[in-house]
Amino acid sequence: MSRTVLICDDAIFMRTMVGDILQQAGFEIVGEAETGVQAVEKYRQLQPDLVTMDIVMPDMGGIDAVREITKGDPAARILMCSAMGQQALVVEAIQAGAKDFVVKPFQPSRVLEAVQRVLAA
Amino acid sequence: MDIARYAELFRTEAREHLAGIDESLAVLADGGANAGANGSANGSQSDAIDALFRATHTIKGMAGAMGYASVEQLAHAYETLLAAVREAAMPADSTLVTLCYEAADALAQHVDDAVDGNADRPVSSSLLERLASMADSIDSDRVHRTTATWRVPTMHAVNAECGDDEPPDPDGPVPATTIEWVVPHDASRSARRGRVIVVALAPDAPLKSVRAQIVLARLEALGTVQGTEPPLQAVSDLFDGEFTIVLETSADDDVIAAAVQSAGDVARVVVRDPVARRATKDVLRNVRIDLKRLDALLDLVGELVITRDRLIAVAEASGDRTVMATAQETSRLISSLQEQILQARMVPVGQVFDRFPRLVRDVARDLGKQVSFTMEGRDIALDRSMLDAIGDPIVHLLRNAMDHGIESGEQRVAAGKPEAGRLVLRAVRDRAAIVIAVEDDGRGIDRARVLARAIDEGRVDRHVSGLSDDDLIKLLAQPGFSTAESVTAVSGRGVGIDVVANRVRALGGSMDIETVPGRGTVFSLRLPVTLAIVRALLVQVADRTYAVPSAHVMEAVEFDEAARLTLRGREAVSLRDEVLPLVRLRRVFGEPVTDDVDAQLLVVDAGGRRFACKVDALLGQQDIVVKAFDSVVGAEALFSGATILGDGSPALIVDVGSLA
Repeated sequence: MSRTVLICDDAIFMRTMVGDILQQAGFEIVGEAETGVQAVEKYRQLQPDLVTMDIVMPDMGGIDAVREITKGDPAARILMCSAMGQQALVVEAIQAGAKDFVVKPFQPSRVLEAVQRVLAA
Repeated sequence: MDIARYAELFRTEAREHLAGIDESLAVLADGGANAGANGSANGSQSDAIDALFRATHTIKGMAGAMGYASVEQLAHAYETLLAAVREAAMPADSTLVTLCYEAADALAQHVDDAVDGNADRPVSSSLLERLASMADSIDSDRVHRTTATWRVPTMHAVNAECGDDEPPDPDGPVPATTIEWVVPHDASRSARRGRVIVVALAPDAPLKSVRAQIVLARLEALGTVQGTEPPLQAVSDLFDGEFTIVLETSADDDVIAAAVQSAGDVARVVVRDPVARRATKDVLRNVRIDLKRLDALLDLVGELVITRDRLIAVAEASGDRTVMATAQETSRLISSLQEQILQARMVPVGQVFDRFPRLVRDVARDLGKQVSFTMEGRDIALDRSMLDAIGDPIVHLLRNAMDHGIESGEQRVAAGKPEAGRLVLRAVRDRAAIVIAVEDDGRGIDRARVLARAIDEGRVDRHVSGLSDDDLIKLLAQPGFSTAESVTAVSGRGVGIDVVANRVRALGGSMDIETVPGRGTVFSLRLPVTLAIVRALLVQVADRTYAVPSAHVMEAVEFDEAARLTLRGREAVSLRDEVLPLVRLRRVFGEPVTDDVDAQLLVVDAGGRRFACKVDALLGQQDIVVKAFDSVVGAEALFSGATILGDGSPALIVDVGSLA
């Protein structure tokens, strides 16, 4: 059975791109969220194997979403998606319970490496 | 492998270590007789224990490789005892010393037996038992003492990282070089011990501070993190990805190393005892290497870096995961290799600076001026080749400052300044660059005179009324521009700044000037740390690829036609709350200028001057090997060199400073 993924990003483009990379690697995209609030709701509902999380989203940002999700499920496997220059925010996200990160622009190989690490942890 | 061939080698080397063991035991026996009053092991004793431990450990490893089971077994038991003694930091009593001698004798006998073909002769079980039981009793003694202290060089204590059952030290901050480790009475945790974990992230790993946090998170799952060096709370772009963590844990070293590796982007991890480093750290071992050999190595690594990029391209095209993973691992190793070799080439600037005091004294005497000269930052390291190339420009600036900057003694006194002029040569590390500044407290540069001359020579529009520091440096850097009223033997015709500027630019650096009339002048040379390999952004302009050194690039944004404006006849773009001059690289490079919508802007910084470069597209970022070339005389120097890309095609390296 393929692993399930919830993709959280307010940009359709980014969701599509991340989705394509993961789908090609055999993952099943079970849900998408455009806001932090949606991310938390959909995580509870779908219980995915993996979450990709943008940092800046409207209506609760990615870091607060990580806090909310890990509060309910400390083992949640969350991969942060960061743009350049967000190092301090990513550090905060890791401290909040995210397991790893990738930096835009996404290289498929690096994304998959990070995903493997998150799933293996 | 033909083990027999190595047997004699093993015997020779093992005997050396056995001789070392005897020496250390003699020290221990001596100290053991005198210690006792204060109950603490003195320095030479703990050094002896360290040496013993290392020797038995080495013999154990060698025996393991040879398949000498009995030697390995005995050495292991011996080593375990020594580790316990070391951890407990207690004086060796006579029982311990006697047992150590007995074990050493037995070890020597087993080494000989093994080499002579009797590797299977069993080790005396009584000896093994006594070694083990003494190790146990020392261990349990130690755990029942309330505190044990171990020293970790330059380690910052991090109280916040302590677990719940180990409250932060109530007696205030712990000295930076020491960590007090409270050993709990809880017997179930007696197997916990301190491990020092040294981690180096891959040089090309993004967001190293974040990766370090992930490493930390993985280790927290194994025990209690006692401290880190440097402190990992601070997020810094300067963080080079090398850090040390002290962990209290019961996990095996293999498990610890695997946990660190699992965090990703880890190039190297070493797990060791808290004190093991002290003995080796004090001995700096050096080998002299011919610079030519280092140059040859660097050239080879340069080629390797190019091949690496090609390998990655091929691997990614293949779509094969295993190939990609192998290519990436190879890439990481090459990066580490490159970094190590670059490190090996670094020498302190003091090596060149040290000849300047004499030069300054001689020049000052020739000019009949008094100059007090100071140098700062002599320890700052720079690539050897860069240092050789920068010597002459510095000499130029020093001469200039003394000749034109610093006034005569009478003039200075008349102006209310000390009679002796002040001249400072300073090296400062700034991000990936080194800034070398020559500062004087002389008369400063007379802008009005420079401007008048520039207008005279038709270099500046006659309506220009003032010169900024930027304009000034650009004028001074123009070939042949001279302001000296008379020719002197010291700095010739005042020509020189242009020579310096060209040299600095050829090295991939930039030059700045700050001058205040009557107060003095500072010339700053901003140089990359190394000449050989730079990180660059590859951009497309028309149908060609160019490399822009990343050190100059602040950010890349999409070009927005709506943000374009015209200011005093010059094109500019407004970006957030900043208006930046716009430089179209197509125009600069003599290509047809188009207004395609999907162009990109690079915000670049050339020694404090920020502007936006419009390019057709961004192609990626990579390390490029700089091949310097001499620019054509008289031509505008737009390029500082060339490089060969992963696909074998050449690309010119844009000299950002010349675009401003």
